[in-house]
Amino acid sequence: MRAKTTLALGIAAALTATGAIAQDYPSRDINAVVVWSAGGGTDTANRLILAEMQENLPVRINVTNRTGGVGGSVGMSYVFEQPADGYTLAGISESVVTAGVQGGWDQRMDVWYPFIIGGSPDLVSVSSDAPWQSLAELVEAAKATPGEIRAGASAAGSIHHLNLLALEKGTGATFNYIPYDGSAPAQNAAVAGEVQVIVTSLAEQQQLLQAGRLRPLAMLVPSGVELNGEAIPSAFDSFPELSEHLPIKQAIGFAVLDAAPDDVKATLVEAFDAAMASDKVQTWLGENYYEASGASGDAAKEEFARLESLFAWTLHDLGAASVDPATLDIPKPN
Amino acid sequence: MSIADQLLAFVAAIGQLLSQPTLVAVLLGSSLLGIVFGALPGLTATLGVGLLTTLTYGFDLDLALVSLIALYVGAIYGGSYSAILLNIPGTAASAASAMDGYPMARAGEGGRALGLTTTASFIGTLLGMLALVLTAPLIVELALQFTSYEFFLLALFGIIISGSLTSPDLVVKGWIAGFLGLALACIGRDKLMYYPRYTFDLHALDSGIEVVPVLIGAFAIPQIIGTLRSKAPLAAVQAVGRIIPDFRTIARNLRHIVRSALIGVGIGAVPGVGEDIAGWVSYGAAKNGSPHPERFGQGEPAGLISSETANNACIGGALIPLVTLGIPGSPPAVMLLGALMLHGLTPGPMLSIQQPTFLVELAAIMVLASAAMWLNGIVLARQVVKLLRVPATLFLPIVALLAVLGSYALGLNITNLYLMVAVGIAAYVLTEMDYPIAPLVIGVILGPMADENLRRALMVSQGDPLDFFTRPVSLVLIAAILLTVLAQVPAWRRWRHGLLARFRRKS
Repeated sequence: MRAKTTLALGIAAALTATGAIAQDYPSRDINAVVVWSAGGGTDTANRLILAEMQENLPVRINVTNRTGGVGGSVGMSYVFEQPADGYTLAGISESVVTAGVQGGWDQRMDVWYPFIIGGSPDLVSVSSDAPWQSLAELVEAAKATPGEIRAGASAAGSIHHLNLLALEKGTGATFNYIPYDGSAPAQNAAVAGEVQVIVTSLAEQQQLLQAGRLRPLAMLVPSGVELNGEAIPSAFDSFPELSEHLPIKQAIGFAVLDAAPDDVKATLVEAFDAAMASDKVQTWLGENYYEASGASGDAAKEEFARLESLFAWTLHDLGAASVDPATLDIPKPN
Repeated sequence: MSIADQLLAFVAAIGQLLSQPTLVAVLLGSSLLGIVFGALPGLTATLGVGLLTTLTYGFDLDLALVSLIALYVGAIYGGSYSAILLNIPGTAASAASAMDGYPMARAGEGGRALGLTTTASFIGTLLGMLALVLTAPLIVELALQFTSYEFFLLALFGIIISGSLTSPDLVVKGWIAGFLGLALACIGRDKLMYYPRYTFDLHALDSGIEVVPVLIGAFAIPQIIGTLRSKAPLAAVQAVGRIIPDFRTIARNLRHIVRSALIGVGIGAVPGVGEDIAGWVSYGAAKNGSPHPERFGQGEPAGLISSETANNACIGGALIPLVTLGIPGSPPAVMLLGALMLHGLTPGPMLSIQQPTFLVELAAIMVLASAAMWLNGIVLARQVVKLLRVPATLFLPIVALLAVLGSYALGLNITNLYLMVAVGIAAYVLTEMDYPIAPLVIGVILGPMADENLRRALMVSQGDPLDFFTRPVSLVLIAAILLTVLAQVPAWRRWRHGLLARFRRKS
């Protein structure tokens, strides 16, 4: 008797479960797996936006961190192995595009349907006691003594290194690139005078800029910004050729598997758009010197494809890629 | 703000915080949780702050900060429980506390040892807080003198000094263990140019060796195997007795406390170097400066007091660069930085302009956190210790379970579990051969710092090693390293002895 009841209950449960999939998404809690560690930029931004999205959804979104591998490959592989039902999201940033060429996994970014919250734009600054007052002066000095002026940025192949490389290509200057494990130690070194030039994001640098420890020269995006009433010009103003190589901007956000059903994507896009428009998110983005993106769907896929091609081939050129991007069919950047 | 204004704001902040019953409850609860986290081997302050960050996301900033800092202070202190009573440091910060704490406990002075660490940690935290408030701008300038050259030498010094101090046998065995740790730290993608090293094409090794599983494996596994082998319940907790603050011993060791607090604050202020190093360096300084260094390791209260004051003073020190520059001074402070940013607060030079009262509030919170820690320590320590008194047959599976959980929890990465077991077995073999384990762990922690900074220093000087000898701080560190090594060379010792004897005859 009991066995029969259990069986009947089981069948009923199975029926309800299949029914639920056909019905409205989401019907149970969503898990978001951030591929970077807790407390970092990607983690913080994701926890914020997902908490806001939760307000507009009937379920909870639980955030965990699954780190390791290269380019967040452990976390991405985990999400990739889950069913494409929209109940597992991956918290990602632009840096995950290197996972393929570094041998972390054998997939490309086109398996994702990304949502981009935004990112903080990069800028080039110098130590407060450095002699250069403008980017033009710095470039002139760097051209006079190629490879002598020390420029700090996070590790080879990181977004800030790519910005530095683009700056070199667009202006013809050559620096002695000194790599650091992250932006904070690089900036610290610029303040201490170990490097004279520094490329990190505005969010990472703003405290030191406002305290007068670093002097901003130029934003590495098409438009300048105003920081505490002081204008930081765009590098594009004095070196228009930079537009061929820049901007290379952070893309912090999350993704659902591209194979997920369309109604799942639509629900997520709706919740994402509402969360992006909320005061809380907008205030947070402003306070943290982020440029909001809000891109999802095709626009976001395109951005990730562009970043993938750029990062993959740069790493390949640096000799730091263990897999040839050509074998993954990653097109060369134009 | 004048000093009088600051003092007034400080008193007001304490009063304001204490007027909220929820806040007081959270304060005491988080402090106790921190002590439990610290006391249980494998659960670290970093892990605790990290886990609590997610839990306190919904809290107000005040409440979240109270909770996180109370846990941080409690965990750094709590590590001494298992160090003293089990000879297993609950966190790496308390590794030096086991040196004299455990012999004291074996001699039946467990209660006194716990009382001493409680008061020493309390005073240490307060002195650290005082340093944070008074000397923040000054110490930041000093820490900023550190470039790649100094960071490399500092890391090397940390490894060598921990090797010298922990060897039960020949000192060189400590150094060997330290360099084994350094070698382990080389595994994975290098942090500068991203080249794979010693990964043997295994992608699991690409992200390198993580500290938490190494820490857990190296300290927990040898203990588990060793106890199982020896049949006798080795993990039996030493008798505690009455926990007495023992203010008289504290007063007698005042100079140790002041020196240790200064060391703790100084080391905390250096980015990336945390409580573990502070404990060791302070312990070493106490031993070297003592008229009877042979008593150290045999249950000398001064040794215990020195390491426990320094590791708690280090908290205030670690917050100095965090608050003033946005650079965390220790691993738990990294987590704290994340938590602050989660609450929309970006620490850095501007914080004192945007929120002039923040530093004073932080000081008030630290005072409350250390008071809660002291209260919990004196009143509840005996209850917390009961956790450690679970019989070995029950205790070992719990340690094993926590070791497994702890190594998996931080990144949910299964590789860390395998790493923990492998490191644990290797550590067991090493302990059987009388190699100390702490330097190995320190090597893994400081390895990336040594590796990266040496290579970067040579990049900056474009390959010229002479630059190491033209910088004042760098020269001091080189001298310290040379002296530490030479102190173990018999010929040098004879020469120095002879020199001293001649000097004495002359005067």
